[in-house]
Amino acid sequence: MNTSTNKYLIIALLIGVIFHGTAIFFTLEYTYDALIHLFFGNHYATSWFEPWSYSWYTGFTVMGYPPLVHQSIGLLSYIGGLKFGLFSVALIAIILFITGVYRYALLLTSNRTVAGYTAVLSVFASVFIETLHVFGQLPSIIGISVLMHALPEIYLWIKVGKYKYLINALSLIAVTVTSHHVTPIFGMVFFIFPLIGMIIMDGAREKVNSYKEVRLKHFIQTFLAFFKRIVVFGFGSLLLIITCILPYWINTKNNPITQVPIPHGSRDNFLEVTSSGLVFFLIPWGILLFFLPYFWYRFFSKRYLFFGLSFTLLTILGTGGTTPIPKMILGDNAFNILTLDRFTLWASLMALPMFGEFIYRFVEGDLKIKIKERYGSVLHRILGGLIGGGLIFMTFFTICLGYFRPLQPAQIKMLPILNFLKQDQHDHWRFLPLGFGDQMAWLSAQTDAMTVDGNYHSARRLPELTTRAVERLENSKFRGVEGIGSLQQFLTVPEKYNLKYVFSNDKFYDPILYFCGWQRLRQLENGIMVWEKLNVPPLSNVLPKDTIPLFQKLMWGLIPMLTVIIAFIINIQFIWIHGLKTKFKAFPVYFKFGVEYASFRKSVFRISYLWAICICIVFAIGVYFAYVKNATQIRPENVIKAYYDALDFKEFKRAYSYVHPKSNKSLDQFMLEVSVTDGLLSSYAKLDELEVTITVQTDSSAKAKVMGNWITPLEKIEKTFYHEILKKGSKWYVLPLDYDLDIPPDQLFSENVVSFYNHGRRRITSEQTHHEDVLKQPVLEVLNAAIVKNEDQYYIIGELQNVDNVPSDVVVTGTLYAQNDRELATYNVKHQMKHKLMPKETTSFRMDFEGVAWRSLEDNKPTTFDPDQFTAANLDGQPTKFNLQCAGNVATVDLYKGVVINDISIRENGVDGVLFNSGLQEVTIPQLIISYYDENKKLIWVTQKYLPEGIRPQRKLYFEFDFLDLTKIERVDEHMENVFVNGLSNEEISNKMVPNRKSEYMQSQLLRVLGKGFNYIKIEINNYVGASN
Amino acid sequence: MRIRIRHIILMGFSLLFSISFALLVQVEKPVQVTLKTTQKKYQAGDKIMLDFAYDSTLTFQLFLKNSYGSTLLTSSSGQFIIPEYLAKKRGTLDYFLIHNSKCVFKGDISIHANSDTLVELETYIGPPSIVAGDRDYTMHVVAPTDRYDNPLPDSTKVKFKHQFLGAEKEYEELTKDLIGWRNIFAYEKKGKLLVSSQIGETDSKEFSVEIYPALPEDFAIESFREHNYADGNQIITFSTGIVRDEFDNIVANGTMVNFVIKNQEGTLLKAQGTTVNGIALGKVLHPSYEDVWQVQAFVNGIAKSNTISVVFEAVLEDFEVDFDTSNREIVVGPLRSFMEQIIPDGALVKLEIYKDNKRIETKVKTSFEGEVRFILAEGFYPTGDYDFDISSLGVTKTFKNITLQ
Repeated sequence: MNTSTNKYLIIALLIGVIFHGTAIFFTLEYTYDALIHLFFGNHYATSWFEPWSYSWYTGFTVMGYPPLVHQSIGLLSYIGGLKFGLFSVALIAIILFITGVYRYALLLTSNRTVAGYTAVLSVFASVFIETLHVFGQLPSIIGISVLMHALPEIYLWIKVGKYKYLINALSLIAVTVTSHHVTPIFGMVFFIFPLIGMIIMDGAREKVNSYKEVRLKHFIQTFLAFFKRIVVFGFGSLLLIITCILPYWINTKNNPITQVPIPHGSRDNFLEVTSSGLVFFLIPWGILLFFLPYFWYRFFSKRYLFFGLSFTLLTILGTGGTTPIPKMILGDNAFNILTLDRFTLWASLMALPMFGEFIYRFVEGDLKIKIKERYGSVLHRILGGLIGGGLIFMTFFTICLGYFRPLQPAQIKMLPILNFLKQDQHDHWRFLPLGFGDQMAWLSAQTDAMTVDGNYHSARRLPELTTRAVERLENSKFRGVEGIGSLQQFLTVPEKYNLKYVFSNDKFYDPILYFCGWQRLRQLENGIMVWEKLNVPPLSNVLPKDTIPLFQKLMWGLIPMLTVIIAFIINIQFIWIHGLKTKFKAFPVYFKFGVEYASFRKSVFRISYLWAICICIVFAIGVYFAYVKNATQIRPENVIKAYYDALDFKEFKRAYSYVHPKSNKSLDQFMLEVSVTDGLLSSYAKLDELEVTITVQTDSSAKAKVMGNWITPLEKIEKTFYHEILKKGSKWYVLPLDYDLDIPPDQLFSENVVSFYNHGRRRITSEQTHHEDVLKQPVLEVLNAAIVKNEDQYYIIGELQNVDNVPSDVVVTGTLYAQNDRELATYNVKHQMKHKLMPKETTSFRMDFEGVAWRSLEDNKPTTFDPDQFTAANLDGQPTKFNLQCAGNVATVDLYKGVVINDISIRENGVDGVLFNSGLQEVTIPQLIISYYDENKKLIWVTQKYLPEGIRPQRKLYFEFDFLDLTKIERVDEHMENVFVNGLSNEEISNKMVPNRKSEYMQSQLLRVLGKGFNYIKIEINNYVGASN
Repeated sequence: MRIRIRHIILMGFSLLFSISFALLVQVEKPVQVTLKTTQKKYQAGDKIMLDFAYDSTLTFQLFLKNSYGSTLLTSSSGQFIIPEYLAKKRGTLDYFLIHNSKCVFKGDISIHANSDTLVELETYIGPPSIVAGDRDYTMHVVAPTDRYDNPLPDSTKVKFKHQFLGAEKEYEELTKDLIGWRNIFAYEKKGKLLVSSQIGETDSKEFSVEIYPALPEDFAIESFREHNYADGNQIITFSTGIVRDEFDNIVANGTMVNFVIKNQEGTLLKAQGTTVNGIALGKVLHPSYEDVWQVQAFVNGIAKSNTISVVFEAVLEDFEVDFDTSNREIVVGPLRSFMEQIIPDGALVKLEIYKDNKRIETKVKTSFEGEVRFILAEGFYPTGDYDFDISSLGVTKTFKNITLQ
């Protein structure tokens, strides 16, 4: 009996700790999940027993996720800081994993050498590398590792019946539960049930002489014999699953996950979305794919039959949306809430012992002998080299995945942001980080300031977030325009959540920030731009929170660590006893059932290598298709797509390579022409769809109609281009389009401009601002306002003027009331208004009422996007009156008014015109605000239009828009008694500031048009000037 | 004698009787207390001591109460020293002398603001900006206190001073109900009003109130341009005169002026400018066809200007059009301007293509070195007869029945 330590295990541990332990320092912080675990760890470190965290989403409970890993990070952080805690826990996870796989393999194969091989191979298992170094899912790893540790104990308990095994098994299950809730529940089905099946099979085997002879009746007999122990174990684990994280279950019941399903790559069809297929299928399986026939062959032997069934089920479930089977098995709801990558994880881990067995047989077992006999040792060596090479390649590729395709934006230095938040009471408001990726969790972990966004979507409470399928607000760019809807709602009514500061790491969000009334404050040293909104009140001193009964807080705080301590004591005690005592220790019972590796079945061998060849062929075909699809100049469609793709990613040199060399354009000229176009389409758009239709094609030329859909932060833009494509040699090239040749009249010109500076606080003090440093709020006057109804929607429209002598930022909040003064809806004006007004400047405005209410999931499930659609507020009543609250605050930036209307011609159903930028700055996105009037020159409707191109100084831009049909507009109420500006009555302001208003001056500026339901229009221009870089 | 029940009862009753008698006997004779301190009015901050005369073997307690709170003092000497935090607050201080939980004496003293310490001023000015004229005003409020933050008594004299342009003025007011205040009405000129106040020897700091100009009055406009030709390239500048309000103040920098241009077609073009030292400029490109503009400027709802008329002459009368390569290449130009110079790049040329009297397409291109080349490729334009309208810079030429091959 060999009781010496297994040298393979030692090697595996050494290599594993060194390899993974070193690698985590370079990969773990850039993974998807690790920083979130860090944030939770910080929460526990600062307030262990208090489950309410104010940092995210206006407050949420941390009882939404099992706490063991987070509490461990928190505890360890006392020694060396949060990151020390994270890395230590990761190291522990690595060690637990390797030893867990060893024990599991030992249980399954009853062969110490094979188990040793498995342990060594598990270090390089691509699924483990991916889960740790790409996803950062520490709780999942610890959960499955401890579960694997528990499997031998469960075996011994049910087979032998000694209570010490039961205690041991249950203690380990307890640790699993507190670490990851899903693992023990599903693990019960996928790992433990097959294990029980195997135990019964072994018991039945003892009644006969070989597995072949085991019949159903033996099986049933054994099952009944073990029944009591199975039930005791099952009942015990169920009890543990419920009580160890009881607060979690209570919380789930009280706050059910009303989250709209979030798209996740693991649910995609892997053939259509090849990137998901790569990440969620090819990488986790890795080279195990080549050995699938062997696994099935072994798993469907009598002993492992149940494992075979489980393995098959896991494999199918892991395929996600490629087939409809997983959805049928899980049901719609579970399918959409769960992420399916865990099934592939478990399937690969389940198969690891078989893989180890195969390699053992290949390296020093019967397979080696067989191959050497039949094909010679050269082939054996070649095969060995191929397998080894494949393993190395998968390991490299997986661990370096983040290097080739960054999973997060470049690492952001947090210190300037932390300093900003600490200064000047900036942390008395909430902030919003945009473009931070998962690093926002790290930012939240380092500051007490709060954000409306958050990083754990099942814990969302804000209605704006749960009725939209966006993982994190700040990732809304990647979810197309539908994701931006929820960001727009936050930016339009930030007062609701005391949101004042936005940290923007991505220029993409700048236009939407500007047009919702935000202004740039300053750029921090790390390149992050801080945007602020005026007129937002600070957080109140007392914030709402859910109170949890004391017993739940104590359970949550004490039980997880207790399970670890208990499990530790029990297990160490056993090892201690065994180590010290010289008493003869028998091998565990499962060693009886090992298989002798006598002869490798010929059929299996044949099938295996045929399968391997098949996979190689499939792979080669896939590569060929990828080449054809992407080879950029093989066909006209390809070159057009590649050209637009290159432009979209700003790879101008690559785009230039697709331009016909005979078009007489040098690279410099090309880049110049491209770089001078600025605006919404060229600077802020992401190409969403490109439809290329070849209208005419000969063998050397083609004409293409290209219809592109771009997602911009403001709206979806559709634009059609016509290109000619010529073939030269064997490649197709695009002919570049013409550009506007107009040149401005003056080479150098100057202008007198007015610019303002507001000191803010003149006294440098940390006290409240002195009274004399507070500027008076500029006085605005609402000239007219009314509720109008258009197609069953209600809006408030009107015009207002800045009647003061300083520039003003304008915020207009409106409320609709029903007959009995009951409030129906309240919202702010979003972008149908100029938010910054110079003295005596007027603007029209329109307020749409967007619904933020919690609605049923069916209403809001995203199917296709329609740019004109928005969530209308669900009013339960007819509005009869309205209340308007306007607030002015002194503005000193974003006051560029240099664009004029140089030409207008009125067509039958629209207007064409020319804008001219007469000033010194380049306007990146011009916006037209169009007001419609009836025959009495009364305002009936306001609309707006973004122009997709920018206007450089002294240049022109052509615009056009079509008239709307306004025949269905009804005026509901135009009484202005409840219009207030800065808290004062609008009527008194009007009487005092402009007592003899001459309204005909404004009316003479209206353009006469005969339209459907209107007689006059007015066009105003709002300009967004982009950041200079 | 044997002790019988009735003896016990009798003893019990007599015991009860004597105890109650003893208790009753303990009823005191009323304690004689007299107040030795005669002063009833104090100044805040004074050391206040209440001295009572009574039997010195007894302990008394003094319960003090004022609007800030209450406290209980104990003394056996008859002298109670009022704690400082009560003694420095202006108001009425009630006191109750207590012995054996019964009040035996009560009274009150009044504490007044300390007139010996240096006066401290709390001043406010609001709003910090007002409009010139006779309607707007700002309010200057002074709340004088003593060193202990007690407001000084009513009818304290406060000097209100302000300075504006050349004049420095001083007024005296009396405080009433804890504050003294004065409205400062705006002057007719714009500028900065400096304000301060003074009580006794204490001066306040300097406050400033901005007086902004009032509403603009009607004004004049004029135009400047390099030449009279409608070349679509040069810029015409409309300038207001100096816009002033009714008191002759130049309006505030940044006031928005809208220039409205009515062209011959009746459509309205619009430019705007913000005033710098009263003058606002609006800049517009020359039209590219001959036109007459009527221009007027407004400060919306408040002031308007005169209307001026600007005439633009056509920059060219005619241009050449050549059809080449089986009429599929149309060369327009060279376009020449008023001095026969080649027109600067960017002049617009519009080509309208008609087939069978129906317009099938409009092509618009900008000139390069005076010329524009339209190419009608075979793929889009099959062989046949077409009509063309070519217009540029106000001149349109029509070509009928051109055959494309």
